[in-house]
Amino acid sequence: MSTVFALIKRNIKLFFKDKGMFFTSLITPAILLVLYVTFLGKVYRESFTSGLPKSLSLSDNMINGLVGGQLISSILAVSCVTVAFCANFLVVQDKVNGTVKDLRISPVRSSSLSISYYIASLISTLMICFVAIGICLAYLSFVGWYMSATDVILLFLDVLLLALFGTALSSIINIYLSTQGQISAVGTIISAGYGFICGAYMPISSFGDGLQKALSFLPGTYGTSLVRNHAMQGALEEMNRQGVPMKVIEGIKDSLDCNLYFFGHHVEISSMYMILGITVVILIGIYILINFMRKRNP
Amino acid sequence: MKNIIQIDHLSKSFGDVKAVQDLSFHVNEGELFAFLGVNGAGKSTTINILCGQLTKDSGDIMIDGYSLDKDLDSIKSKLGVVFQNSVLDSALTVYDNLESRAALYGIVGKAFQDRLSVLSKMLEFGDILKRQVGKLSGGQRRRIDVARALFHKPKILVLDEPTTGLDPQTRKTLWRVIYDLRKNENMTVFLTTHYMEEASEADYVVILDNGKISAEGTPLELKNAYTGDYITIYGAAENEIRTLGTEYEAIKDAYRLFVPNTGAATQLILKYPDVFRDYEITKGKMDDVFLAVTGKKLLGGIEK
Repeated sequence: MSTVFALIKRNIKLFFKDKGMFFTSLITPAILLVLYVTFLGKVYRESFTSGLPKSLSLSDNMINGLVGGQLISSILAVSCVTVAFCANFLVVQDKVNGTVKDLRISPVRSSSLSISYYIASLISTLMICFVAIGICLAYLSFVGWYMSATDVILLFLDVLLLALFGTALSSIINIYLSTQGQISAVGTIISAGYGFICGAYMPISSFGDGLQKALSFLPGTYGTSLVRNHAMQGALEEMNRQGVPMKVIEGIKDSLDCNLYFFGHHVEISSMYMILGITVVILIGIYILINFMRKRNP
Repeated sequence: MKNIIQIDHLSKSFGDVKAVQDLSFHVNEGELFAFLGVNGAGKSTTINILCGQLTKDSGDIMIDGYSLDKDLDSIKSKLGVVFQNSVLDSALTVYDNLESRAALYGIVGKAFQDRLSVLSKMLEFGDILKRQVGKLSGGQRRRIDVARALFHKPKILVLDEPTTGLDPQTRKTLWRVIYDLRKNENMTVFLTTHYMEEASEADYVVILDNGKISAEGTPLELKNAYTGDYITIYGAAENEIRTLGTEYEAIKDAYRLFVPNTGAATQLILKYPDVFRDYEITKGKMDDVFLAVTGKKLLGGIEK
């Protein structure tokens, strides 16, 4: 066990000392922030207010809390996966540098190596994402705080699940990567693409019907929705208390992907947790199976 | 003397390329064993198979009584490997690198500190423990590579071109450490090198060419078999040298004659004692052996 701990410590240190890898992992959240400052914030704000009855006027604090909730949910949902991918690229870097040879000439089990990479990536991802949650919550408390303690706890749970998902997915993909070029290619695709397909840049509800159906098959979609629900639920409930009709609120929830539909059927929050949880278990199972098969047939 | 490495009929191909072909040899315990060959001769393939990094196509390998096929983990703890290129984590400090690598062998806590203390004195790197490996000089980094390989007290130290590009001082330090380890701990050293003066210090040499053994033996046996002797004569005039009827060349302040063996040199001296007033006889060098065996010169790994 001490070997696994030492390897986890090594992997985490390497990720945080490798400034290139560390900052690459923050590209997507940075893009989101830039988009928000330049135009997304305005788009979100207008989309909320335009859907409200003219007789209702909500405070700026209320609107800012809602818009802020959407922003932080997008940032957190994306970061959990992109940071996990970048943290896990250490596996490939070790292959590229030849370091893996140095690890494998020792009697350490290959399962210990795989576990240490997985856990280290997960811890690195969680460290960054939990700090990000702290910053995001501080931001919300500044612009408009409507979250309950339960929402905050569930937000942490959502991030944990998404980090587990991102780490498991990247662990499987990284098994097949072995060059610096492949790291760059996959890193770019994930950084640029994941924000779109999980609905972080633009809500999935704004995409075409076919694309919406296709994205409903991706487990990450439900992870984003979970984060979004818990980041915005308090603000939406407050809107309801201030007299915004439930029908309007449901419309906003539809437009923001708080409500997701799988071929017309509404997916409950509990089902979203189940989908994400089962996906994580399956992905980890596949990761273990691939490692086992590769050990038998190297 | 016990065979610590026994290789029988080892073969390995990569597609159509036969990297190693029916290779058989053994290494005695405590021996300095030199494995020579130009790049692509099959040295690294053999080492990678020995270390369990590559699977073999056929053949048997026994290391310290363990079969590579059945007891790879036991074998791994017997081997310490210094790779051709440093494979330590350049972003981490020397201490962090050694700590993580020692843990691979279960060496943690006080055991780690004790071993670190011994090795840092032996290889003189106590003052750079907190420095980032990526910022070390080539010589400093090499010392850390060797320390990493020795951390778990291996019975066999595999050195894959350990001194290439190093300064004379570091080379001297490394060879002193290796000499002491062999003397005090009976460590076996499996060396690949492009420096023939290092190979000439070996107890046994195997020369590999195109995946096959071209020649093997002690340096003396190889020199006797594949090269002649050189007689360097000082203080003689060229017309005197010419009377000897032997191939010669003029060098600074002397003439150098090439004779097939020491016996021929003795005969020549007895026949022309007046010419041999001041002279020395030397064996051919390992470079000459390598050239004679493979038809290639080994200069820094580049085939000539």
